[in-house]
Amino acid sequence: MTSEVTTKDTGSEPAPPPRKGRSRTDFVSALFRFQSLFGLVAVFVVAVVFSPRHNGELLFLNADNLANVVRAVSEIGIIAVGMTFVILVGGIDLSVGAVLGLAAVGSAVLMVNDGSGVFVTVVLVLLIGLFFGFLQGIASALFGIQAFIVTLAGMQIARGLARIWSGGQGVAIAYGDDAGEAPVAFSLLGERTFNGLVPIPALIFAVVAIVAIVFLRTTAFARHVYAIGGNEKAARLSGVPVIRVKVIVFCICGFLAALAGIVHAGQLNQGSPNDGFGYELDAIAAVVIGGTSLMGGRGSVVGTVAGALLLGVLNNFLGLHGVDPNVQLLVKGLVIVAAAGLQRLRPTAA
Amino acid sequence: MARRRAVAAVLSAATALSFSVACGTTSENSGQSQDSGGNAKECGGPDGKYTIGMSQANVAEPYRQRMDDDIKAAAEKVPQFSVEFADAQQDNAKQVSDVENFLTKQIDLLIISPNEATPLTSVVAKAYNKGIPVIVLDRKVDGDAYTTWIGADNVEIGRTAGEYVAKELLPDGGKVGEIRGLAGATPAKERGDGFREGIKGKNIEIVQSVDGDWLREKGQSQADALFKAHPDIQVLYAHNDPMAEGAYLAAKAAGIEKNMKFIGIDGLPIPSGGLKAVEQGRLSATLIYPTAGKEAVDTAKKLLVDCQDVPKEQTLETELITIDNAATVYNEANS
Repeated sequence: MTSEVTTKDTGSEPAPPPRKGRSRTDFVSALFRFQSLFGLVAVFVVAVVFSPRHNGELLFLNADNLANVVRAVSEIGIIAVGMTFVILVGGIDLSVGAVLGLAAVGSAVLMVNDGSGVFVTVVLVLLIGLFFGFLQGIASALFGIQAFIVTLAGMQIARGLARIWSGGQGVAIAYGDDAGEAPVAFSLLGERTFNGLVPIPALIFAVVAIVAIVFLRTTAFARHVYAIGGNEKAARLSGVPVIRVKVIVFCICGFLAALAGIVHAGQLNQGSPNDGFGYELDAIAAVVIGGTSLMGGRGSVVGTVAGALLLGVLNNFLGLHGVDPNVQLLVKGLVIVAAAGLQRLRPTAA
Repeated sequence: MARRRAVAAVLSAATALSFSVACGTTSENSGQSQDSGGNAKECGGPDGKYTIGMSQANVAEPYRQRMDDDIKAAAEKVPQFSVEFADAQQDNAKQVSDVENFLTKQIDLLIISPNEATPLTSVVAKAYNKGIPVIVLDRKVDGDAYTTWIGADNVEIGRTAGEYVAKELLPDGGKVGEIRGLAGATPAKERGDGFREGIKGKNIEIVQSVDGDWLREKGQSQADALFKAHPDIQVLYAHNDPMAEGAYLAAKAAGIEKNMKFIGIDGLPIPSGGLKAVEQGRLSATLIYPTAGKEAVDTAKKLLVDCQDVPKEQTLETELITIDNAATVYNEANS
């Protein structure tokens, strides 16, 4: 952790100019810090250059297509932002996909079967996600059980709860004023857009990302997060409230997973206990590609957003070219390995 | 202090933005796109070249791989058609993306077998309202924003199976065990209901129903438990061939496969399919559940090349397969 304040001695000789080798290291450091942004730009350029054409138009740059790309990454993106926090403190949360499913089911059941309004439903579901994260945080931070194990168990529990709450099958959401129909306001999350172009889920993702980025850059809490991830013992000895920070971080992650679940239910007009299956791995992939170290202490939400968009652009590019979905999986895996490998080459901080 | 103010400012700006978004949205469905149905595009006729997008729910299921193969084979006979295939691997969100990519590529016609009805309804409606003809196969979507649905009548299939059991296998009555398909899918409910209609009034009792989720392994493990609880079952009715075969294996492991008869549904003309299983004596009967692949391409030809209208629903016939006709039907299908 380098200090941002440099002391200036008055009256002593000026500091010698930095040597050439040192600035090259700085340059390379900068490259790695923004590896995900460079990666995103590179993939975007490839997608444009090799885009399929129709009547002279570059299909990739079609406004509807770009809107589809950002809409498709929104849910994983929201989850990945929460995951960034957890990974930064040196933990992991494998339950986010299951919590998304639980939240999607909850949204559907509360509105359709129990006739709740949109506001009540959203608040209740978000609280459920937050509470689920709280329990996982307590189990891992207070009782010292490894986060991997706690959240693995959490994943099963959330899936089970989702199955019980939904009665084992998907709950369809129809909109209207009759009993058994959800309030029309909830369909905001579906096909509708802002300005006729930007999908609502993408806007939600943008707001979540911006709030998280500012939060992680400015607050004391954020400094605690990085400190714990960098060296937990030292942080504790310096007086950082480690347990409290960790619990809050898991709460954030659960909350955002539930938010993604609400968006999911609105997008597909259904809450099914199988929703979000495997999403935790995509979220972790976005975080890793974004340059956040799985050891904790280093990384940013900016990187995660770039990582999520990179995967989205890649998926869209491969989809437009009709690439076999199994090959798509292969490519995604290779990108993750490459990103993680690049992290190893990174010059370590002084 | 300044930092905290900055954070507060950003947070409140973000909240304000969210609320303004809520009030300022426009709906993509707000009436402008409602005007065009499937006939909005001018029919191109035999001189045009057409791209067809086929969005499949899950190619890993043999029935669906066969559906794609049938479409491919039929489309090769129509020189104006080229078909692109997408596989959603049982993921609703992925299938929505697949269809959206097809729309970006401006296909001329969409064929889709949806993974689930409700999640796919709005993207199918989007295609339909853009004037692209939509052919829905096997499973349905909600509402009626599509050109035509082609499939078989699952209730009729279940009923035929029930009548076969009542007339041929258990004319004096008896006990039946049932292995059902995935609980949320309409074919499972329809095949179950139809079967019960077929055995109504006879002295036949369904002692227990279990869920096999269309899968062979699950069918086998559920059948294990079923046979232990009811060793006196005489007929095993499974909603598809893989589950019936799984039940056969379970019975064989317990040594009781000679005491009972097995019935499945699908009758795929592939080496691991139901027709061969009947021919080789593992299943007593199966019912053909047509893939509708060939009919889909025929309908597409009518719409795009011949400029004709088609009915909203096209129901395909089923056929009862027993040891008498299994081999013949298999050879016919593969000629």
